[in-house]
Amino acid sequence: MRKIGFSTGALAKGDFALALKFLRGTSVGVIELSALRQNELWPLLDSLELLELAPFSYVSVHAPSRIEEGTEKKVVDALGTFAKRGWPVITHPDAIRDFDLWRSLGRLLCIENMDNRKPIGRTAIELRGIFEKLPEASFCLDLGHARQVDPTMTEALVMLREFKSRLIQLHVSEVNTASRHELLTLAAVYAFRKVASLIPESIPIILETPAARNQIEREIATAARALKEAPAHPMTVMH
Amino acid sequence: MERRTWIPRIEAFIAFGSIARGEWTSGSDLDWTLLIDGYADPGHLAISQAIQNALKTANFEGPGPTGTFGSMTFSHEIIHNIGGENDSNRNTTRRVLLLLESIPIAADRLAYDRVTLGVLNRYLEEDTSFLTPDGQQRCVPRFLLNDIVRFWRTMAVDYASKQRERAHEGWALRNVKLRMSRKLIFCSGMLMCFSCHKEPTDESAVPLSSDILISLVAQLRDYVKLKPLEILAKGLLDYGEDDETSRNMLNAYDRFLALIDDPDKRQTLKKLKSVDAQSNDVFDEARGISHAFQGALSKFFFQNHKLSSLTQKYGVF
Repeated sequence: MRKIGFSTGALAKGDFALALKFLRGTSVGVIELSALRQNELWPLLDSLELLELAPFSYVSVHAPSRIEEGTEKKVVDALGTFAKRGWPVITHPDAIRDFDLWRSLGRLLCIENMDNRKPIGRTAIELRGIFEKLPEASFCLDLGHARQVDPTMTEALVMLREFKSRLIQLHVSEVNTASRHELLTLAAVYAFRKVASLIPESIPIILETPAARNQIEREIATAARALKEAPAHPMTVMH
Repeated sequence: MERRTWIPRIEAFIAFGSIARGEWTSGSDLDWTLLIDGYADPGHLAISQAIQNALKTANFEGPGPTGTFGSMTFSHEIIHNIGGENDSNRNTTRRVLLLLESIPIAADRLAYDRVTLGVLNRYLEEDTSFLTPDGQQRCVPRFLLNDIVRFWRTMAVDYASKQRERAHEGWALRNVKLRMSRKLIFCSGMLMCFSCHKEPTDESAVPLSSDILISLVAQLRDYVKLKPLEILAKGLLDYGEDDETSRNMLNAYDRFLALIDDPDKRQTLKKLKSVDAQSNDVFDEARGISHAFQGALSKFFFQNHKLSSLTQKYGVF
């Protein structure tokens, strides 16, 4: 059975405590603490000891997607606090300016593939250049981004093959044309099933879908359906 | 060309023809399109016209008068209209050339890659005959192959039609191109399709799984990235063709490129009418080259012990 959880940002934007409250009593066993905006990072650090994280077998942290100039070292040092706990730090490659600084996070620096808007990190070829600079870094495959870049999911397949040994987490959502995360649709379910067989069951799946409290379990069930291996090609041969 | 200021990420500026084949010569024209894969924007026309003007200013010879190139192309038509009433000659040409003879002229190839994959995915996903249920044998994707064969025949028919419409203007050059560069892209397309074929005994045959289709799409995409001559050379190596045939084939093509790169000879062919062709030395030379090319191709496709059965089974009937 796949381990499916949520990003706190998807459930309650910067209010991670509220998101954790929503998840209490649900089947969610994996979580990503979101500090997508830089100003969310410091409150998250400050309240770390107070957060009720015992129900979660896996925790990761999403690094800020934009880092103010002159603060990169301070941010990486702060993210190192999470890494010391063994939590992967999910990072957008275009947020990185000084690769030397980020290398200190080792394998716990987890690079995510990007959406259409970004200038880098969208395809296997583009990610290859980033991993050359960060040889120890791991990989978070964002299936929604991959589908936006290539609806056939061929790029996702190439990324899964090429970065198989780096893969430690998945992001799942519908990504609309404005590159915003949405609840999963049937089209996304069908698309994701094309590559489901290449994703080991042990890989934690983090939903970035903006589910309301009463939609959490349903969204998890939809994600589970999306990541169930699709039946083999239904066409039969007629030579 | 300043791509960043002109072309957003849902679009791609794509070149076809000799520049895409890596065979650009002194007199080559530039066939291009602005491929749009996203929302409709009235401003697309202005971008297209700006490209047209910039190329004109830079003294590039523009595309032919058919209107197939030199303007906008929309991904929806390319991907959705394969076959049927709405698949016009222009649409087929743009689609098949996208696969066989195109190159994105810009740093960002995202839209180009996305549309290419969309087209390939359609051909494979809707093909009912190329995967066996046990996955131990894969046949040739006939849907794709048939479209490539259809395109080749269409080019041959259009050659005759243009002869009539344009009162023989440019006849000899078109004739030579049909015998050489057009035939080359047809052959490279066939080889691309044949690459999907796997015998049960092949070690590389993979068990049937849900991702086999997109694996094949990825494989075909790698072919799309190659130039037609590279595909031909790869085919000669993969099918273990003998050195003599390979040399004859590639030498003939090399001689063809040298001939059309000669401004005088190209001009002669451009002006030559069919009635005068029999007594023209340049045309005679070109015809000799094309016969050598055809001879080597025939030997490769019909006598090579690995390839001939595929040619007969899929390429003919």
